[in-house]
Amino acid sequence: MMKFTKVAAATLLTLAATSASQAVELQISVTNLTQANYFTPRLVVAHNADVDVFEVGQTASSALAWLAEAGVIDDAQNAASSGQNFEALLGPTDTDNGNNTWHRFGGLAAPASTVSYPFDTMDKPYLSIASMLIPTNDAFVGLDSIEIPTEPGTYTYYLNAYDAGTELNDELNSTRTDITAVGGGALGGYALPGVAGAGADPIAPSMGTGGMGVAVQVGFDQDGTALGSATEVVDGTDGPVHIHRNTLGDTSATAGASDLDSTVHRWLNPVAKVTIVVPAS
Amino acid sequence: MKNSTLKILSVAVIAVILSACSGDDGEDGATGPQGIQGPAGPAGPQGGDGDDGSQGAQGPQGPSGGFGAFNVTVTNLTHGQPMAPSAIIVHEPGYNAFMSGTPASLGLENLAEGGSPMMLISEAQDAIQFLDAQPSSGINGPGQTTQVVTVLVPELDLDNVRLSVATMLVDTNDAFAGINSKDISNMEVGASMSFIAPAWDSGTEANTETAATMPGPAASAAGGGGDAAGFDAARDDLVNAVRIHAGVVTSANANDSSLEGLSTSVLNQSDKFDNPTARIVITRTR
Repeated sequence: MMKFTKVAAATLLTLAATSASQAVELQISVTNLTQANYFTPRLVVAHNADVDVFEVGQTASSALAWLAEAGVIDDAQNAASSGQNFEALLGPTDTDNGNNTWHRFGGLAAPASTVSYPFDTMDKPYLSIASMLIPTNDAFVGLDSIEIPTEPGTYTYYLNAYDAGTELNDELNSTRTDITAVGGGALGGYALPGVAGAGADPIAPSMGTGGMGVAVQVGFDQDGTALGSATEVVDGTDGPVHIHRNTLGDTSATAGASDLDSTVHRWLNPVAKVTIVVPAS
Repeated sequence: MKNSTLKILSVAVIAVILSACSGDDGEDGATGPQGIQGPAGPAGPQGGDGDDGSQGAQGPQGPSGGFGAFNVTVTNLTHGQPMAPSAIIVHEPGYNAFMSGTPASLGLENLAEGGSPMMLISEAQDAIQFLDAQPSSGINGPGQTTQVVTVLVPELDLDNVRLSVATMLVDTNDAFAGINSKDISNMEVGASMSFIAPAWDSGTEANTETAATMPGPAASAAGGGGDAAGFDAARDDLVNAVRIHAGVVTSANANDSSLEGLSTSVLNQSDKFDNPTARIVITRTR
């Protein structure tokens, strides 16, 4: 009898503790499983069912385009993105915005490295993560609205690389000056062709120059007709959001199709491992 | 004409008169439907408990009593990559055959560059979490499944046991298919679990894809391969850490204007692979 009473009391205490906790602080770890692609600052969002950071088969939001093309999440990273980025879409950071709360975890995550941080979900039921792969045109790694486990424990997820579909994968080095966007604009950055965007630090190792373009060629329009200028390249879209087909690259640092290296900058899925530790309440 | 009509009429009249005078009784009608069932009577009193049965005789002890036995197979899911013998290891949590983002052990480097699972198994045997390990035998070709490999787990450990498997893709520099520390605790006898494995890059050798650096048949066909082209102690990869393999580049399109291919590679399109590359099935048999 005594034993039974004890167990019942302990159960009641557990229930009380669970219902009293208003927030769960998850420990989130992200391991970069690629060999040569860096992850830009990670957008981590806890949210309700009516929030979608990205959705396969759907056209990317301007916020996702900023993240996937330039690594930009908020105004502090890039003022020009104000009103179009995830900060504009979700609300202030580290705040209970009703249907979401989010944080930008800064710094580049190098290939084969692991970064880890605590994150307060503010009791939202779902979790999403997004981060640009550089150097790419608009590839991002994504965790797509998983239901946050409530049982204490460690949970592992493997993440794929997606193509935001907002920029053609020309694989041209955005720091190049010998070619420009149509109209003479600089390469790189949101809505412009280029590999590493304006918000992300250009990642140069093993990146070449002199490539003639992969999904679209310098001096030619998408349909293959010659442009007025042989040193300009057009941009376009290849959406909706879909699994990235991987980069092509080439083995020449000064010629070929691509400014990426086919022996370096390719990947196969999964590109990231995420572990979530749900603490005992 | 007139006559014949009258004749018939008169016969009919006679027949009617006859039947009215002396007809037989009609047949009985069909049985009517059954009436509805009456209400059930009240339940009788419950019977008392029966006596306990006597305990059955104890069964004979098996040849390896005190152990759970597990059969493991590895299926090669690639198009053209032969797989070297697998290291199949059961252990308690805490031992890791490999960890993503972490440098490979020397045993894993041996497995991933040269194809031999024995040093990785030897390392596992030295771990305090070790329970059992076996290699599969021989080369496991594309689309093929290894023979059944049996590993034993003491009964006391069956509630907290892990499975790790690794096997080299031999027409690569240092790719291996593998799973690390998958939870197989509390499997019932007869139960099966299935795991799919990606191709990992052990991070211990540059992916040059040359005949002199890969041990498999693709390198042999190009005049290299074999043990001499297997293990090399130098660690000269992009990153000295285990991560997902980026795939083989091959020599395709090395000389066209795209320059996509790797001219020093002895691999071709048939050596390419995508994830997953292996399926591991474990069944508890005892």
